[in-house]
Amino acid sequence: MFYRLSGVHHTRYETARRLWPVPTDRWQVWILLALAVAAPLYMSDLYLSSYMLPWLVWSAAALSLTLLMGIAGQLHFGFAAVMAIGAYSSIHIVRAGWPFEIALIGAGLTAAFIGCLFGAAALRVKGLYLVMATLAMQYLVDWVIINVPAISGGAQATLQTPDVTFLFVPMQSDAALYYGALLWAVIVTLLVLNIKRTSFGRALVAVRDKDYAASIIGVNSFKYKLLAFFTSSFLGGVSGAVLAFCYYQAVTPEQFGFNVSIQLVAMVLVGGLGSVIGAYLGAGFVLLAPIFLTNVVAYAAIQGWLSVSTNLLAHIPLMAYGALIIGFLLFEPLGLAKIYDNIRKYFLVWPFRHSRS
Amino acid sequence: MDTTDQTTHDGVTLACEQVVRRFGGLKALKGIDLGIRQGEIFGLVGPNGSGKTTLVNAVTGFYPPQEGRIVFEGAAINHLKPYQVASRGIARTFQNVALFKGMSVLDNILLGRHIFMRPSALASLFYWWWAQKEEVAHRRQVEEIIDLLQLESVRDEPVDVIPLGMQKRVELARALAAEPRFLILDEPMAGMNQEEKEYMVRFILDAQEALNLTILLIEHHMDVVTAICDRVAVLNNGEKIAEGTARDAIKDPAVVAAYIGKSNDAA
Amino acid sequence: MAYFLELLINGALTGLMYSLTALGIVLIYKSAGVPNLAQGAMVMIGAYAIWMLASMAGLPLYLAIALAAAAMFGFGLLAERLLLRKMVGQPIIMIVMLTLGLEIFLRGLGPGLLGASPKSLDLGIPLTPVIVGDVFINRDYLVGGIVAMILVGLSLLFFRTRLGTKLRAVSDDHVSSWSVGISVERAVGISWGLAGISAVAAGALWGSVQGVDWTLSTLLFPAVAVVILGGLDSIIGVLVAGLIVGILGSVIPGYVDPIVGGGTRDVVTSLIILFTIMIRPHGIFGREDIERV
Repeated sequence: MFYRLSGVHHTRYETARRLWPVPTDRWQVWILLALAVAAPLYMSDLYLSSYMLPWLVWSAAALSLTLLMGIAGQLHFGFAAVMAIGAYSSIHIVRAGWPFEIALIGAGLTAAFIGCLFGAAALRVKGLYLVMATLAMQYLVDWVIINVPAISGGAQATLQTPDVTFLFVPMQSDAALYYGALLWAVIVTLLVLNIKRTSFGRALVAVRDKDYAASIIGVNSFKYKLLAFFTSSFLGGVSGAVLAFCYYQAVTPEQFGFNVSIQLVAMVLVGGLGSVIGAYLGAGFVLLAPIFLTNVVAYAAIQGWLSVSTNLLAHIPLMAYGALIIGFLLFEPLGLAKIYDNIRKYFLVWPFRHSRS
Repeated sequence: MDTTDQTTHDGVTLACEQVVRRFGGLKALKGIDLGIRQGEIFGLVGPNGSGKTTLVNAVTGFYPPQEGRIVFEGAAINHLKPYQVASRGIARTFQNVALFKGMSVLDNILLGRHIFMRPSALASLFYWWWAQKEEVAHRRQVEEIIDLLQLESVRDEPVDVIPLGMQKRVELARALAAEPRFLILDEPMAGMNQEEKEYMVRFILDAQEALNLTILLIEHHMDVVTAICDRVAVLNNGEKIAEGTARDAIKDPAVVAAYIGKSNDAA
Repeated sequence: MAYFLELLINGALTGLMYSLTALGIVLIYKSAGVPNLAQGAMVMIGAYAIWMLASMAGLPLYLAIALAAAAMFGFGLLAERLLLRKMVGQPIIMIVMLTLGLEIFLRGLGPGLLGASPKSLDLGIPLTPVIVGDVFINRDYLVGGIVAMILVGLSLLFFRTRLGTKLRAVSDDHVSSWSVGISVERAVGISWGLAGISAVAAGALWGSVQGVDWTLSTLLFPAVAVVILGGLDSIIGVLVAGLIVGILGSVIPGYVDPIVGGGTRDVVTSLIILFTIMIRPHGIFGREDIERV
């Protein structure tokens, strides 16, 4: 009815490879994009800058990580450290007098080079050992940032982001910051979508699935693993910089701690490994579900339906978040993207249920 | 056995010279000599564990030989990594199908074009101005191979849902997509019924003719080997025990002994 | 020199206490091939359990520890039955994340129910240090080190019993174990239970050293370094690597911390993990898994 597969014919290879071959999907994307662009018009500043904006930036970060974990199959439990490198180097580059645009690229490159260093060290191993090696990277980067005052910004260890302009737009108003985050999310989304349908993505997936079969068709698996680390760390670094400038505006090392790394992995897994829409859904879910649950319980407590100590209330987000990860892994290992896909498939044949494939 | 073949070196495109490969104390290849000529289908037969797949792994760089040389088109390739061997124009299929499970048939075959493509994240970012042209150009080539191997009907299916016979064909297609001059097929007909085997033989012969290939074929089905191989070599225990036309090699007493055991009387 | 000896001895003893946490990880990995990143949180829960039984219910200490051990054995069985068994055959990332999810959940649950402030757990060990020559040795660490050695020794012996032999068979090959009639599920369950018991031992000792609160779960990090260095499937590796991690993590910060301003213990631990993975990923005593092309 809404989704029509019949009538979609490809007469050119270009259209056969387009991003959303089904017209309804394309309309949805355009509508969502329009809604996102118009958000400052109908959304209060509070919602815009404390929900929409961080959601977009975290989605971009989750997308960067899903490129590495989902598409290239390399596990990373220290991605928050990569973002930290991006955030801190962008601030220092701007402070050194360079324009913000250069600082963003510099942030990406710095994160990519340091990320690759750890990647290269860890690429001899895979699976569990890669998890441990990246975990060690997280602790090392944290320590360096905390213990070098020149990086962390002195004794109070808080670093204010300087005022900047991006493409001649001063990044001060809520709307400007929001559009900055939106632009970055769109760029990362397009990049990951396009990587998935081009030779680069295919080579990464090949190395992930069967490295020996990949090598016999000419894919240098070490090179592509390293490229995956590079690209993903670059995107992660810029995401960290965008997060610092558009959202936090004052960075401390704790904002990029080990728990944040786990949170990113949780976003990717809850959303669905390797899925683009999953990164958005996962980021939203991991950010909002614990807050939502706490509010529900707090509301119930205020109404007198159940008695909860403030101490327990304070720990509900942590429990909810742990339970969320466990629940998804047990009951829907393919994540929210799979749930979305099921719904979409249902509507593909609706109202003719019998032809469901 | 036709001894003159071994002495004349003209036309030899891939030569193994005294190839030795050990795994710990086990000597899997004990100094193999082979010469495979341009344009022929060369059969490699022998009992299980005789070293056929190890030899192929030595040629393709997975288990580089510890002694001896492997020469392809006049250049030694025994020190190359598998992905470098691929770019020299050697392609292969695997005994147990090694396709990329998460991808469609089309993407699997497109991956075969990898050595001709220049993948990069930047090109992907600017897809509409940069990567699209390349994708479309290679898609044309891949469609020709899909035509040749009659894979049109499964083009967009994920590879893990199509039947095994079809998967083997996709793997052949992926190997052909790399436009190899030398193709190694490791038991392409294992687990197939008679009809599927006949199809596969037809496709192999078609491909050889269309692309002017030299083929090294490992196969247990002797009917296939005698039907399509110009020459065969028989391996046993890491040694070559016979070489020549299929009919001659099968009759060789050493081969009979290797397969059936030493008889008291060759009746 | 006395300073060095003190760092060395106390470091070695701390390291042995790390081994206690690491022992649980190895026990599970050996039988199930699952890296249990919830072990740190299990240590914390074990310590909370003892504290509840001893301070809230007023039981004598030895009884509290015994009951807590029984409870954590049950917890291990339950975690395996309800969570891990459902994940058999899933990729490693899924399993790692599941145990991390469990770790996060427990880290919320314990302090959430019992209060976030640290609880003191008194094992009756005097606070005065043992003094040998010029060297001050922490009595808690001394007891901890001895208990750790005993438990690791017992684990080694355990693997020579009938049940232990079954566990060894299971760790070698699940399918062949099934085919000779060993219940792989039960063996894996038991190894989780044993990990629960070792968590109680670690919880008691670490709880008495630093109090019972969520920070006990951060023992996971040194424990991970210990299992990586010693080899994920080696019990003797736990002991040796525990000593190395403990000593390096005490001696190096002892000299470097005053210069750079602290926190080098985590750096040392990280570097141990990194170097092990770069040079010898399977650790000192671990089995090298050979991959087939």
